[in-house]
Amino acid sequence: MLTALIVDDEPLAREELRLLLQASGCIAVLGECAHALEALPAIHRLKPDILFLDIQMPRISGLELVGMLDPQALPHIVFVTAFDEYALRAFEEHALDYLLKPVDPARLQRTLDRLLLLARREVMVPDSEGAAAPGSGDPGLVAAPLRTIPCIGHNRILLLPLAEVEYVHSDLTGNRVVAGERQGTTELTLRTLEEKSGFLRCHRQYLLNPAQIREILLLEGGLAEVVTCGGHKVPVSRRYLRPLKDQLAIP
Amino acid sequence: MGMEQLSLVISLFQQLCVYLVIAWLLSKTPLFMPLTQVTLSLPHKLVCYLIFSTFCILGTYFGLRIENSIANTRAIGAVLGGIVGGPAVGLLVGLTGGLHRYSLGGFTALACMFSTVAEGLLGGLVHRHFVARRRLDRLFNPWMVAAVAFVAELLQMSIILLVARPLADAWHLVQNIAAPMLVANTLGAAMFMGMILDRRAMLEKYSVAFSARALKIAERAMGVLDQGFTQQTCGQMARILYEETGVGAVAITDCHQLLAFIGIGEDHHLPGTPITSPHTFAAISRNEVVYADGNLIPYSCTLHPGCKLGSSLVIPLRGEEGQVVGTIKLYEPKRKLFSSMNRTLGEGIARLLSGQILSGKYNEQKRLLAQGEIKLLQAQINPHFLFNALNTLSAVIRRDPEQARTLVQHLSTFFRKNLKRQSDEVSLRDELEHVQAYLQIEQARFADHLSVQWQIPEALLECRLLAFSLQPVVENAIKHGISQMLEPGCLTLAAEVREDYLQLVVSDNAGLYQPPADKCGLGMNIVDRRIKARYGEQYGVRVECEPGLLTRVIISLPLTEVLC
Repeated sequence: MLTALIVDDEPLAREELRLLLQASGCIAVLGECAHALEALPAIHRLKPDILFLDIQMPRISGLELVGMLDPQALPHIVFVTAFDEYALRAFEEHALDYLLKPVDPARLQRTLDRLLLLARREVMVPDSEGAAAPGSGDPGLVAAPLRTIPCIGHNRILLLPLAEVEYVHSDLTGNRVVAGERQGTTELTLRTLEEKSGFLRCHRQYLLNPAQIREILLLEGGLAEVVTCGGHKVPVSRRYLRPLKDQLAIP
Repeated sequence: MGMEQLSLVISLFQQLCVYLVIAWLLSKTPLFMPLTQVTLSLPHKLVCYLIFSTFCILGTYFGLRIENSIANTRAIGAVLGGIVGGPAVGLLVGLTGGLHRYSLGGFTALACMFSTVAEGLLGGLVHRHFVARRRLDRLFNPWMVAAVAFVAELLQMSIILLVARPLADAWHLVQNIAAPMLVANTLGAAMFMGMILDRRAMLEKYSVAFSARALKIAERAMGVLDQGFTQQTCGQMARILYEETGVGAVAITDCHQLLAFIGIGEDHHLPGTPITSPHTFAAISRNEVVYADGNLIPYSCTLHPGCKLGSSLVIPLRGEEGQVVGTIKLYEPKRKLFSSMNRTLGEGIARLLSGQILSGKYNEQKRLLAQGEIKLLQAQINPHFLFNALNTLSAVIRRDPEQARTLVQHLSTFFRKNLKRQSDEVSLRDELEHVQAYLQIEQARFADHLSVQWQIPEALLECRLLAFSLQPVVENAIKHGISQMLEPGCLTLAAEVREDYLQLVVSDNAGLYQPPADKCGLGMNIVDRRIKARYGEQYGVRVECEPGLLTRVIISLPLTEVLC
């Protein structure tokens, strides 16, 4: 039995898909989310095998959501859309699976059969043949570039534009994103952010936006401290100082 | 005055007649043109000098030899040269005529040379006098010219008496020739000027008639071909040209077939039949005017041996980039000549029609573009909305068949309104039905995520507005506003009368409006342009936005309430 999570902003569309999946008898629906911000923590928490993902959703589209997921822990993604010419063309091109609304039960069953087959194969011989079969492509190829970092602030949701973010700090409470006066906790991992945002690692627990560096204070013992444009201080560890200098073309 | 003198007057008159006939013949040539008006341009002055010098010399030759001297009409050329051409021309004409006379010899040779120069100068001074006082009409007055010529002759007689020696001979000569020369020169100069005046009057009459006719054609023809270059519009146009030009027949063709034919021979020159005339083919392929006058270039009708038409003028009609799009043909029957006026007019008409055809094409394209934009607007609504609506319907059928039926009703209302809009203007009630059907479906889709408030006074429901001016704006508010909200959204629709216009307000609490630059503003942009094009620049669509809180789209329209 495979597990699935449904992400769609329309309650009736979610219900319809849930009923169809339940009727198939081979999928356990772990939950439903109304938008990407709800989906991010749910995906991290529930770790579904399959993600049924609507494309047009408020603020963060399905394609942007894919870009926010950790590429190394990506579930199988089945895009679900009413009509989206360009996305559909991209899906065909990259051999990604998709369903059209209203969903045809027979077509859904074919997708599920393929996913079940794929799951069985992965257990026995990981990474075997069938490279161009639908559903076998890498969803990262159609992912939209990261523009904002979605965060939970004090009783509110923040979408912090990438260019305004000064640094990201990971501690026990989670990953804190700081942009001037505004800050929030994000579901995105430091590894995902480092890969997608162009931010630089300056410490095991810190990611730095190079465009927001005001000055670098060199300290004793090969340590340093970066002062950001917003006046925040970010530590630079011995291990990351050299790569940081290289990145910024400082001798 | 004795018999001898009378016969001298008559002989001199006979000479004068030949002289004037030559002048009359010359007045029929374009050479005479510069003489009909006072000009300052050098080439015209040169022509003036050459003509009057010639007449000055002719005057001498047409003179009668009397007692080793010549009774003549030389003064006419000199005086008129001065009057028409000014002092410099007068002086030169006098000098030329005088030197010529001097070369012929005789005891008055020197006196005659001086007097001719003086006559030219006298004319020139009169010219300067009237030009300075801006009395050009006086300059061309035959009576005035007669007076000047009379004075000039008196001057000549005095000079002969002063200069020619022996004085006794001179005195005797003057007694003989004074009377005939005074009369002949005075009359001759006046008649010469009369001819100049005639010529001028004719030119003016011709050009007045020409412009009047051209303007009348232009006025009647205005806008006919704007509606397209078809058999019907060309028929109308040909009728106008036939009536206004008075030619035997008028035809209009495109590059392949006859579109219209009015006049002699219309029984066998039938619109819709292919072109057969070689002249028309020549005009089309060479892109130039072809004139078959019936004499040098024979014309014969290719359709019917008994056709009465005898000559034809084919002028190409030019469209974009000067390419031939057709021809206009004027015909005259056999035994009637083409007036040059109609030929010139024909070419002017062809230019006029070419312009109309071009602007007609342009209008057509504009209209198609506008239609295309409406189609685009309709198409924009379709796919995403349609499939989501069907998906919603599919879920609703399962839970509540009764609600599903209602939803199907809304969906069909929406699409019917979408398809039916051929008439451009609708009532607010009608447009709101469209919006309502749309919103009912969206409310089913988003459930409690979308609430709608209506603030439309009953009294305004019959106001007229352009179809599709509210629905796209509401759709934008849902698509780019409320459907992008993470929390529930509220849409408000309001209508109110402000001063003398109607204001429709669509507001949402998303506040996510981004000033265009991309496609998301397209629908609203088209609405704005359509309203401005229809009702004027003071109306249209404007947007107010408080980021994160509110977007308000305000549509202003003229207040055109129907009170029945």
